[in-house]
Amino acid sequence: MDLSFWILQFLNAMQYSMLLFLLSIGLTVIFGLLHFVNLAHASLYMMGAYIGISVAAMTGSFWAAFFLAPVIVTLIGAVLYFTLIDRMRTAGPMNQVLVTFGLIFVFLDLVRIGWGDIALGLDGPQSLSGTTHFLGVDYPSYRLFIIALGLGVMAVMWVVLARTQIGAMIRASVENTNMAAALGINVSRLFFLVFCFGCALAGLAGVAAAPILSATTTMGITILIPTLVVVVIGGLGSLEGAIAGSVIIGFMETFGAVIIPSFSAVLTYALLAAVLIWRPQGLIPARG
Amino acid sequence: MFYQTKLRSITLIAALIFLACYASFGSYFAREIVAEIIILAILAISLDLCAGFGGMVSLCHGAIMGVAAYAFAIMSAKLGWPLFPSALIGLLAAVVFSGLVGWVTARTNGIFFIMATLAFGQMAYTFFFKSRWLGGDDGMGGISRFDLSAIGLETNDSLVFTYLGLVTLLGAYGLTAMVMRSGFGRTLSGIHVNEDRMKALGVNTAAHRAKAMAFSGLIAGLAGLIAAQHTLYISPELLIWTTSGEALIVVILGGLGTLVGPVIGAILLVLMKHEISSYTDYWHAFIGLVLIFTVLAGGRGVFGQMEYWFNHMTKPRHDPDHHQTTSQLRGGDHA
Repeated sequence: MDLSFWILQFLNAMQYSMLLFLLSIGLTVIFGLLHFVNLAHASLYMMGAYIGISVAAMTGSFWAAFFLAPVIVTLIGAVLYFTLIDRMRTAGPMNQVLVTFGLIFVFLDLVRIGWGDIALGLDGPQSLSGTTHFLGVDYPSYRLFIIALGLGVMAVMWVVLARTQIGAMIRASVENTNMAAALGINVSRLFFLVFCFGCALAGLAGVAAAPILSATTTMGITILIPTLVVVVIGGLGSLEGAIAGSVIIGFMETFGAVIIPSFSAVLTYALLAAVLIWRPQGLIPARG
Repeated sequence: MFYQTKLRSITLIAALIFLACYASFGSYFAREIVAEIIILAILAISLDLCAGFGGMVSLCHGAIMGVAAYAFAIMSAKLGWPLFPSALIGLLAAVVFSGLVGWVTARTNGIFFIMATLAFGQMAYTFFFKSRWLGGDDGMGGISRFDLSAIGLETNDSLVFTYLGLVTLLGAYGLTAMVMRSGFGRTLSGIHVNEDRMKALGVNTAAHRAKAMAFSGLIAGLAGLIAAQHTLYISPELLIWTTSGEALIVVILGGLGTLVGPVIGAILLVLMKHEISSYTDYWHAFIGLVLIFTVLAGGRGVFGQMEYWFNHMTKPRHDPDHHQTTSQLRGGDHA
């Protein structure tokens, strides 16, 4: 248990946190703006992984998959938006949960029909196949890439939300949709754009995770619960909340598994219970 | 608000007679299906009590059922207690767990309540999944059925067991209907419709919701006891959140806030599942599409829609459930 062991665990925790971040940020921003809970978000993540595998098999290039899979997942998301999501927006959380739960079932079987029940792997890019010497340890380059990807998305999101006009429009709509619409913001177009962006990030997370986790039919349902926990702990609809939540959960699950293995699984839920009792709106709630 | 209308009584009795006939004239496999329907129906009644009348859409009812099953199995199979005291402990465990979840989540509403219950359910699931003493993900065997030979019933006979299950289902329905017709149930509906108004009337709404969850836990516990005694084996699968999701599907498919609807929904879902899986492996997609269609069609469910038509045909001016139907469509969101 020397220092390099802890650095390795730190990097593992970072990598898991970033994966959670990519998923939860889409979910949370969609909720903040559309007040829609999309349980099928995790199914889009699964679709990202499987589509990525197919694209990589067809083109022979990981990078083609890496850029194309999110685009295709976004198209699926757009279809969902116009067929279901848009009309379910005002239907209340129970109906939203039910419809998206139904979608989970549909996507599950679509994947089984299209790709079968066997777990599929995806080879990472050649250039990132080795290890890199970082912070005094040898760490797989691809996992470092995921950490960088997450931090990059985080930075871009922050700049966009805090410093650009579209960011200001999104923040205004989260705070008060009617007032934003009255000021001339095309709110429904904004909803659609944000939803598509969330889907793209889910697809990106899926294809990025495929070389590490390999694609299975249960991968969506498995990641859904930690993602929801992140979103609730952080505060629904909040960017800072999603960052804080994914880092907390990522580190707690990774270090919990090392330090107190027998208790670690319950730890996450205990934290969630504590947050719900003392801060039901999450640690860093979104305004509005 | 709940009314035990004639239509509901007739539908319930018809459903029970159908199940009894299906079990009596069918094969061993048919009785297995009926037992599965009974377990799901009781669980869905318990969930309907929370979701339909209290507006508390819980995703931990599978876990509540599983807690009862595990507590019963621990007492009887691991610690060697007699079966009836073990069953009481099982029910008590479900009530305590459910009441605790209700108490902790009493201040949350809408989607926060859904997610909170989801998390607590998964917490219980993870606990049993990781517990080596209780067999972890392999589950636990060594459970036995009640010995009712004193009153001349052989519970190991699948037909007798199914009949007893049907009696339990009727009992669970009757108990829930009674409670929903009492002041307690009326207050719960009142909180669902307008929580501020009930607070102004002096009701401790948080405590009332927690009590409703605890009572719902008692009913879900009954389902857990039957589930454990049916297969004589339990696994953490009982507690996983998709079990709760399935119960929610049953409630919405049959008709939310009707109590009879969940029974109809359970029959439909289990029969559909078995019919479709004999043709294709992909029954999940079918159930998913049925669910999406049900919600898009207005969310009344099969029995709810039937009742709606019936009420409009027979008494266009007096419609006791009209108010409830509109509040259902809003999905109980008072956040």
